[in-house]
Amino acid sequence: MGEVFTALLSRPNFLAFVILFLWGFYIMVTRFNLVKKLVGMYLVQTSVIFFLVSSSAKRGATVPVLLSTTDPVEAINYTNPLPHVLTLTAVVVGVATLGVALALCAAIYRTYGSLDEEDILKRLE
Amino acid sequence: MSHHFPAVLFLLPLFAAISMPVICLKHPDWSRPIALVVLSTMVLISIPNLNNVIHHGEVRYAFSGWAPPLGIEWVADVLASIILVALSLLGWVALVFAGPLSPKALGGRIVHFYTLILLLVSALTGIVFAGDLFNLFVFLEVAALSSYALIGVAGGRALFAAFRYLILGTLGASFYLLGVSYFYVASGTLNMADMAEKLPHLLHSKAVVGGLLFMFIGLGIKMALVPFHSWLPDAYTQAPESVSPILAALVTKVALVGWVRIIFWVLGARVIVYDIPVLLLVGVLGTLAAVIGAVLALTQRDIKMMFAYGGISHVGIILIGVSQGNQTGFVGGVFYLLNDAVMQAALFFWAGVAIFQYGVRTVEDIGRIGKQDLWLIGTLIVVAMGMIGLPPTGGFFGKWYIILGALEANNYVAVGAILLSTLLTLAYFVRLFEAIFRQTPSQSDIQPDEIPLSFKLSLGVTSAAVIILGLLSDPIVQLLLNKALPPGL
Repeated sequence: MGEVFTALLSRPNFLAFVILFLWGFYIMVTRFNLVKKLVGMYLVQTSVIFFLVSSSAKRGATVPVLLSTTDPVEAINYTNPLPHVLTLTAVVVGVATLGVALALCAAIYRTYGSLDEEDILKRLE
Repeated sequence: MSHHFPAVLFLLPLFAAISMPVICLKHPDWSRPIALVVLSTMVLISIPNLNNVIHHGEVRYAFSGWAPPLGIEWVADVLASIILVALSLLGWVALVFAGPLSPKALGGRIVHFYTLILLLVSALTGIVFAGDLFNLFVFLEVAALSSYALIGVAGGRALFAAFRYLILGTLGASFYLLGVSYFYVASGTLNMADMAEKLPHLLHSKAVVGGLLFMFIGLGIKMALVPFHSWLPDAYTQAPESVSPILAALVTKVALVGWVRIIFWVLGARVIVYDIPVLLLVGVLGTLAAVIGAVLALTQRDIKMMFAYGGISHVGIILIGVSQGNQTGFVGGVFYLLNDAVMQAALFFWAGVAIFQYGVRTVEDIGRIGKQDLWLIGTLIVVAMGMIGLPPTGGFFGKWYIILGALEANNYVAVGAILLSTLLTLAYFVRLFEAIFRQTPSQSDIQPDEIPLSFKLSLGVTSAAVIILGLLSDPIVQLLLNKALPPGL
């Protein structure tokens, strides 16, 4: 058990990701309000994106722009740019999902006059 | 020229979907002909593409000439090309079916409907062809977004089902992306072929094991595998009649193809992580899904709900097939996947016609369908034979090869599960037929209008396809055995 904790504490980014992910998941499962569920969903998405970005960080490295055109390129001096690019796409996907979700919420509110899951389920019956 | 086919097949529906809202702003009636022309062109390109891939080997298309593993790669092998032929044909038939239904069923939102269908088709093409794991994620999400919107497009009860699907689907996508980032952190690449070379040295890594598990959960939600299936029945039942066939036929199956790609082409078939063969895990979940899905289908009253649970049980049967770890089982699973796509489309067409013509939604109402309605009764008999797995339909041969594969692997539990789910399928179709033929004379007084030609066409084509797939099962299975097997199986 102690080994697991030291492993976690030596990777604070991972710890932050796990907390954010579980927090979002908890909100998604326990809240009945649809917009609150969406907040939880967005937290889950963001936590994964955070994990992806944080994996590119290196101690003592700089932005991925060549420092000199004559010296040979040393990968250790630059952070990895690829996760950032992936993240950009993942953020766009997340925003699109959120847009569709909010549109659905608005339509649900117009139809049922409520955003509470229990109210809506009562009306559906 | 022919090596551009895979890219054209994806870009054509994508650009049509993007330009449709502009073109059809003033002329909403144009949206249907445009969508039909695009899907017909896809059919006409996908068949020569399959022919080309069979005769000249797989096509690897690098977008804008950036060589993989740095660039984006499209892999059109025989498996992908066969699935694509089925996808474009079924999409075309679903569009034909949607014609007379759409203005009424969609509350006038015709342009939205056709735009979203084209977007869905292009995203599914992307999933089938994608050569790297991250693109697979992007296309999964595009397909899922267009499905959420398609389910909710008509409003009403479907909105809430669409919202639930969205919450679960996004959770699945997040899990999949998490799995991909684990794989990326461990191997430093995203390209499937490149990763397949690097992964064998990394299998002891906890990151790879965790990533694999997260990917499986994510894709499991997308393919409605049993513990994660709760979004599917409501969403497909509440969806407008013109939408549910195309979703039921294609979306879950294509997610399953994505998973097959990852386990067989990226990981390799014989992978054992921490003493647990991955295929065994997949097989156990497939066995559970095959039985539980069929039991739940038997307990339903709503016919669309019944068919939706039938689809869930068939996802399990396909997974049993591919997880046997031998050639017979794999080929049987893929062949059954093609059959299942056709049968699910046919069943939801049938339910759509029954609702549109007779207002039938539950098993009790189904007696209203007159015995004299030969189209509905005849096609239901053919499709039921396929679902149960009676010769000469394709469903029989699919199950036959899966059972042969399971016997070859000495996996008697899987054989038992398939037989049990077959019996349960028989039981719920017997319920349907009993309700149809027990009708009292007073119920058959209703004289409905003539069934529109497009309904007859789509029902006829899909039920004919169920039989044709059975008659042609030998050449198709031989083709799959010779050309479409994953490396190392």
